[in-house]
Amino acid sequence: MNSSLYRQRAIQLREELSDDYFTLWIWDEALGAAGKPGQFYNVRALASLKNAQNSGKIPKLFKPISIFDNQGGRIGFMIKKVGEGTAALSKLRAGDMLELIGPNGNGFPIFRGKRILLVSGGIGYPPLWYLQKELINHNQIYWMHGGACQGDVFPSDEIWTEDGSIGRQGRVCSGMLENINKYDVDLIYSCGPLPMLASAAEISKSLNIEHYVSLESYMACGIGVCHGCAVPIGAKNDWEYLRVCKEGPVFNAEEVRWELM
Amino acid sequence: MGTDVKVISKKKPNASELLRSKLGKLELKTPLTVASGTFDMESLEFFDPACLGAFVCKTITRYPKKGNPPPRLYETEAGLLNSIGLQNPGLDAFVADKLPLYRQNLQMPLIVSISGSSIDEFMQMIEKLESCPGISGYEINISCPNVENEGIAFGVSAEIVYSLVQRLSSLTQRELCIKLSPNVSDIAEIAQAAEAGKASSIALINSVFGMAIDYRTGVSRIKKGIAGYTGIGIKPIALALTHKTAEAVKIPILAMGGIYTWQDALEFFWAGASAIAIGTANFVNPLAAPELIMGLGGYLLEHKLSISDIKGRVKI
Repeated sequence: MNSSLYRQRAIQLREELSDDYFTLWIWDEALGAAGKPGQFYNVRALASLKNAQNSGKIPKLFKPISIFDNQGGRIGFMIKKVGEGTAALSKLRAGDMLELIGPNGNGFPIFRGKRILLVSGGIGYPPLWYLQKELINHNQIYWMHGGACQGDVFPSDEIWTEDGSIGRQGRVCSGMLENINKYDVDLIYSCGPLPMLASAAEISKSLNIEHYVSLESYMACGIGVCHGCAVPIGAKNDWEYLRVCKEGPVFNAEEVRWELM
Repeated sequence: MGTDVKVISKKKPNASELLRSKLGKLELKTPLTVASGTFDMESLEFFDPACLGAFVCKTITRYPKKGNPPPRLYETEAGLLNSIGLQNPGLDAFVADKLPLYRQNLQMPLIVSISGSSIDEFMQMIEKLESCPGISGYEINISCPNVENEGIAFGVSAEIVYSLVQRLSSLTQRELCIKLSPNVSDIAEIAQAAEAGKASSIALINSVFGMAIDYRTGVSRIKKGIAGYTGIGIKPIALALTHKTAEAVKIPILAMGGIYTWQDALEFFWAGASAIAIGTANFVNPLAAPELIMGLGGYLLEHKLSISDIKGRVKI
């Protein structure tokens, strides 16, 4: 069944990346034209719904997955197996069906003529991949990516691992200041685990550099109805809970009330 | 549900007659509504809203409410924990911004859900809403488990429920539906108090107190600790309380709590519901509402039944 928000689409291709990471590709020109970097879909394996219905059980919620790539109607979702929902997605092969709601949320603001630093951690990588494709022709970009170990490492300009198995050892934010100075950075985009984003936001704030973060949140509806994914956004003494799915997932890092997260 | 879908498509004209229902003063085209806070204008993009008998909006309060700190959600083995805390823009913004949108777009009765921190506040809200056209009724939310000193503080005492409902019923001719909490020792007593105060219907159940903890770290999955539990896990509780309340009062019951499918809906009619609502199901299956109505219509047609034939006739 199809509606303006809900669709079922066949997986055209599945790619193995590393360890728990894989990419699922679908083909849909209309959806491709609608999507922007930073937006996400609520995704579920159709088999999860059908198996549950056939055995008289209730399926689990959709999972929010950001757009990893989107070109000419070829839409990619890079996914890390972390829980039950993504484990079900990890079993899918080409030809299997996905349920999709989206594209949801607001994308990253796009600029020209900037000296940009991208900072990603672990599964925060995918939305920045799509973003850099949109930015690359009009900006100078330096991309730092970090993870726990080499299994979390993907193509970028500078790699950090916590265990030192590859690249520089430590957390990716430790190298931010050095690169901001070296490349005279005037715009930052980031996506990754909350503590990483909070550290990155502190650095950009101290240097007064414009910085956009893409936040992750637990979601029930993904379309703005349930208010379950809300995060505190605004000035220090004048903030409100905004929905990651609707007003986000991209926010100005300075407006995120990190101390309340 | 494939076979039932075929049945309905052959004899479509009659199914809509069998699905007609009444909730107090309201004539409903179908017995299906949506649980407050689980369905909004965005959801209407998923399907043709003709499957719904009424629209219940997210609960509003007299003044804007920030809501609870995150994390607000956690999906359990059998249902969902939420701790939204009635986040809403307040009555004035609702009347100015939301209500015109609803009036313009909804082709069905609108039930406005409200909560307050005092009887006076509830009365002020009804007085203001009475001056607004395009509202068919009110859901009086005295059962939200996620806010202190509001809502649930009223819903746990029969005496307070009686005086609240009595005052509100004198202010309106519209449908007055009192939404009850399962987190009370005797729901029948509370329902009787609402009926005595001249409520025209009862909605039940609101969410059940629930909690989840990360076993490794000991950290609560929900920032505020105790949350509201909804979904499949609370269906037996909701069914029992529907039955118990239906035995205790004459006014109709809008039942909810773990309803996902047409089979669930039938169980609630047997237990005594006049109408039903789906909530968490909207998140798990955005097409739950049209699928439920197709299945229900097909079943009623096939067995030549109407809802009134089975309402409250559970065999024990």
